[in-house]
Amino acid sequence: MSAYGAPGPVIHDPMTLPSDDNVNAYTFCVELKGSQWFLQKGKMIAYYGSIDFNGIGHGRLDRLVRTSFHSPLHASDWVVAEGQGKMLLADRAFDVNSYDLEDGNLTIRSGNLLAFQPSLSLKQSIVPGFLTLIGTGKFVAASNGPVVFMEPPIRVDPQALVGWADCPSPCHHYDHEYMTGVMGGLRAMTGIGGTSGEEHQFEFVGAGTVLLQSTETLMADQATGAVPHEAGVPGGHGVSGHQGQHGPQAGVPRFPGQLGDLQRRFGL
Amino acid sequence: MRAPLCPATVASVATFRLQGSKVLAVDMTGDAVKAKNGSMVAYDGQMAFKKLSGGGEGIRGMVTRRITGEQMTVMEVKGHGTCWFADRASEINLVNLQGDKLYVESSNLLCTDAGLRTGTSFTGLRGASQGNGLFTTTVEGHGQAAIMSDGPAVVLRVTSQYPLTVDPGAYIAHQGNVRQSFQSGVTFRTFMGEGGGEAFQIRFEGDGLVYVQPSERNTIAGDV
Repeated sequence: MSAYGAPGPVIHDPMTLPSDDNVNAYTFCVELKGSQWFLQKGKMIAYYGSIDFNGIGHGRLDRLVRTSFHSPLHASDWVVAEGQGKMLLADRAFDVNSYDLEDGNLTIRSGNLLAFQPSLSLKQSIVPGFLTLIGTGKFVAASNGPVVFMEPPIRVDPQALVGWADCPSPCHHYDHEYMTGVMGGLRAMTGIGGTSGEEHQFEFVGAGTVLLQSTETLMADQATGAVPHEAGVPGGHGVSGHQGQHGPQAGVPRFPGQLGDLQRRFGL
Repeated sequence: MRAPLCPATVASVATFRLQGSKVLAVDMTGDAVKAKNGSMVAYDGQMAFKKLSGGGEGIRGMVTRRITGEQMTVMEVKGHGTCWFADRASEINLVNLQGDKLYVESSNLLCTDAGLRTGTSFTGLRGASQGNGLFTTTVEGHGQAAIMSDGPAVVLRVTSQYPLTVDPGAYIAHQGNVRQSFQSGVTFRTFMGEGGGEAFQIRFEGDGLVYVQPSERNTIAGDV
């Protein structure tokens, strides 16, 4: 077996593969000993041993889904891996990392979450497009470039945000000074000179950790499922009058220099 | 077929080394390598580049490649000095062959020692499930080859105690004496949209190495 000479790459076998750790920056190895993991469909690249992959809707897994899965509307994007062996996870050659939560909570962009232990429970976040994990356990997330951890208070670029842990107050922040100043106003109105693209940020205060990726190229979103059609539910498009007509999701094309509805709000 | 110019005593063998993970440097002293057409990015010294029609496997090889859809445009690089190869910033992995056979998709093959024989082989259902067609390229002999992957490849050993199962979309190559079989997890649930997401898998048994990349090509199976 030593026939495959030394100067080549590292050769892994079930003994040398790490247990619940990264093989390299892009591949993560999960060890299953009769245990279960939730993973996003199609993220397994290889495994040793005998592992079954079953859709969440599998009758036998009902109990598991009841206890640790509270995001039923996109349940079909998730599968449960169970069995004995070591399994490699990867996602489109993005960086992958594992995170441990200890009786904590973490909210993450839906497209970035790859897999999690059933000891964590998965819920939809109130913030559309994000998922929240609550409890104790390990999960694996992908990011476009390595993840940077920051402490609040911090303002971050919306595209660079991967998620946040334990912070109570993510909110939008607009740079009023820039937009209402003479030059800023002129630029905003005419579009001449363009905008810096950094007038809008997410703001975090309080104790916790904010996870940022090192590019502003977003990973494709995974559907988080619809939320109930109820008044007062963000993204629910309920009866409330203003719902559904604000935000870039409204589908109105944006032009360079246009600051959207804010212009109207500031009388620009 | 043309006899190799240098006699059977190929004392000087091109040495492959990686410069970073995306550039392959090959040091040559009068010997030759076969590389994907157009993959040279720089060279130092005296080099001659010659396109080899039909993968440099002679008329029969050319016809086989045409028929099987495993066309590869290959050039022969020969000379004294160092030649650097790269292709679309793909990660490059070196493979050492010592008399065994490497099976790789022609599109993932960057460069081989000229002393290695290349050919085509039937892959059966695996190729179909990868969306790569039913045939694959083989590289055989003693020497080095460089294969490309989307993200650094993970090399997994297959032994008789440890068979390996791989997602067809992440598979890039394998070498050694392994049998592959095709596993299908398609059940009635797949058709209800409740599939396991890993409907097609390839199982490797025997003794050898399997190269997987941390990314999945879009396959029919990917969404099932």
